[in-house]
Amino acid sequence: MAELISRRQLRRVATIGAVAAVALLYLCMVGLIEAFKDRNVVTGVITLGAVMLLAVPLIAGYRAALLPRDASASRLAAWQRVLFGLVVGLIAGAVLGVFVVIASAVDVRGVLVRISPPLLEFLSFGLPSALAFLAITGLGGLTGALGALLLVSPVRIRNAVTSAVIAVVFMSMIEPLLRPRLEQLDYTAISDFVYKSHGLTEAAAILFLVVGAVAAILWQPANDLVRRTVDAAPVESRRRIRRWAIGVLVVAVLILPQVSGTFLAQVAVLVGLYMLLALGLNIVVGYAGLLDLGYVAFFAVGAYLTALLTSPNSSLGIGLPFFVALPIVMLGAGMTGLLIGAPVLRLRGDYLAIVTLGFGEIARVLFESDALQPWLGGVQGILGIPSPFPPRIDLDLGTMHIFATGPQVLYYPIFAFCALAAVFAYRLSNSRIGRAWNAMREDESVAEATGVSTVNYKLLAFALGATTGCLSGALFAVQLGSVFPGSFDVFVSITVLAVIILGGMGSIPGVILGAIVLIGLPELLREFVEYRVLVYGGVLVAMMLLRPEGLIPNRNRQRELHEADSEEEQETLDGDLMPQRGTS
Amino acid sequence: MSTEPAVVSQRESGPSATDGERILELSGVHTYYGNIHALKGVTMHVGLGEIVTLIGSNGAGKSTTLRTISGIERAREGTIRLKGRDITNLPAHEVVGLGVAHAPEGRRVFSRMTVAENLDLGAFRRSGPDVAADLARVLDLFPRLREQKAGTLSGGEQQMLAIGRALMTQPSVLLLDEPSMGLSPILTEQIFQIIGEINAQGTTVLLVEQNALMALNVAQRGYVLQTGKIILSDTATNLAANEQVRQAYLGEI
Repeated sequence: MAELISRRQLRRVATIGAVAAVALLYLCMVGLIEAFKDRNVVTGVITLGAVMLLAVPLIAGYRAALLPRDASASRLAAWQRVLFGLVVGLIAGAVLGVFVVIASAVDVRGVLVRISPPLLEFLSFGLPSALAFLAITGLGGLTGALGALLLVSPVRIRNAVTSAVIAVVFMSMIEPLLRPRLEQLDYTAISDFVYKSHGLTEAAAILFLVVGAVAAILWQPANDLVRRTVDAAPVESRRRIRRWAIGVLVVAVLILPQVSGTFLAQVAVLVGLYMLLALGLNIVVGYAGLLDLGYVAFFAVGAYLTALLTSPNSSLGIGLPFFVALPIVMLGAGMTGLLIGAPVLRLRGDYLAIVTLGFGEIARVLFESDALQPWLGGVQGILGIPSPFPPRIDLDLGTMHIFATGPQVLYYPIFAFCALAAVFAYRLSNSRIGRAWNAMREDESVAEATGVSTVNYKLLAFALGATTGCLSGALFAVQLGSVFPGSFDVFVSITVLAVIILGGMGSIPGVILGAIVLIGLPELLREFVEYRVLVYGGVLVAMMLLRPEGLIPNRNRQRELHEADSEEEQETLDGDLMPQRGTS
Repeated sequence: MSTEPAVVSQRESGPSATDGERILELSGVHTYYGNIHALKGVTMHVGLGEIVTLIGSNGAGKSTTLRTISGIERAREGTIRLKGRDITNLPAHEVVGLGVAHAPEGRRVFSRMTVAENLDLGAFRRSGPDVAADLARVLDLFPRLREQKAGTLSGGEQQMLAIGRALMTQPSVLLLDEPSMGLSPILTEQIFQIIGEINAQGTTVLLVEQNALMALNVAQRGYVLQTGKIILSDTATNLAANEQVRQAYLGEI
């Protein structure tokens, strides 16, 4: 008779259950649940806090059902897998239940400040201890089993359910953005149908569930159809399709701030600034393979040089026009790149990272220092940087009325610079210079031995990266109208690096997507601001585990990461090879 | 680079190398890794059109000698001359430009690039129509390299690629570091045959090998290196017959 569950499986299930339990406790203790327990997803039905809590046993159950990949796995019946999920959920739920019971009886707030009475009431459904424990455990088990059920169900159903849930959660999350905009544009009827006290109405929730599910079901055939049509089309019309697609994209980018309103435009401006930074750092890290953790220095130099040259209040006081100052700023930043690059030429890998980290901090300390205060303004910074862009645009074109203010205007030059930087970087990567960087990143000494001057190409990478970064700094200075040293801390460097890692090192589309996801999304979900660093860390860990090549990987890097294992196999299987002898 | 006339004259005069023109000359070269004294006054030369081999045991400084010649390591003392010109401590990429190609130990191809990209990098400092001609020549030497990705090559193919990449720099002197390392006897033989061919086409070769027997077979002259010093120097035939060498490096007792 087959065992119900083998020892080994039991151990794995227990491990996953424990991890899920820890995750649940963690979410409660850092205050995420408390922060979101009153944020409606579907008003009167479920809140964001509940969604987060339920997601944990759901994912754990799914993982548990997926887990036993050993020889016995094929013999596992669906009900056994669901059982795994159930057990995992029960474990997680029980641990949380015990915690709730203890926390209700004993005051733990002295240590765990976030475990507040309202949170406990939320967790226990307002029930007395014993019942609450049972309810939490049961709900955990149920959700875990549901997660496992998702795994054993057919792919189409799994995708449809996942997509439906994501659609509902997403639509409710963007309520603070969408609703005011809808009301502003006089679509009050729609907004009243969709939203009720900051959550979705039941009707709208059902609608989005259906839309999400249908979209998931139709996605694959539609995708196939498009692909087949495009592949079948002759080269000429395929090129035309491509051109049209690019055209539509450009138009979408151009009208976005008009449609979205000021707040979203403000977010887009921030995304653009980081995109520009990431495109620059991508040259240094992604192309040349030089891990620079002090990239914020160039951002700061760009901003401060712009401030010095254009602000009449600065120590120079010359008040140059922005576009006259810009070439000088770029030149200055390029020089800074060389200045920072030159002393670290001989360092590789981690050592380079440590030293550049130091340089980044030195830059900030210099801008902050009292000694340089007469020139750089010290902690007070430099104020009164004039913007070369009009504060508002008001155009009446007969049928169309274009009206834009603040960020809606600034959006355009920023994205123009981004486009320019992207094209520039793309051309670079496909040039002789790009090839030299590629070689240098892979094997520095061999690159040298084939005639690549690593000194020159490293310096070039630093200088070009610095120039791109300073553009972002210049626009940042203009946007704020002032610069302060506080804006240029190490966290900027880390964020930009995270953007590149998330998107895919050395991949321009990846970097662009990375900036949108990592900078844009947290701005949209303002409640998360307090937890932003936590989320970044989580995202980076998850990326390293699940998709180390990034969202849209660079072709070479993907090869690198996914052939590493097969390469090793190749070596050992290879008939040409004999045991290696020592080397001289 | 004006290496061509020299090559032609070499072909006519045949491999009578020892008293011919010295294309590469090391005198009293000392190299250090930090405090470790790796080369202790190496003096040797390579004649135009020769194959010269440098044999010696583990850690004798064979690879270091090549790395010092190609400028990857710096010599603290002594001079290295290429065609009479002092190239001591020139940066590696300039040494390549002057006609010294280094196929490093352990192959070290750019495994994430295609074979074509690897070979292209060999021609990094060159341009013009003769690059294509050289590419054709390299692919003729190593037909197995056509249409492959460098990371998926077998050990032997990677070695071929490393040599091919070095040839793409249009060298007058080719420095080969352990081309037989990790290869089966059959492939080793093939590689050595190709080294002979490359030499016959006019490229001078300085060959570092642990497989001393094979190396002495293909070379005209040889040096024996021991703990950073040259202890023997003779024609390949004499070295192969030398009792000391036979005992130490040819595995005979």
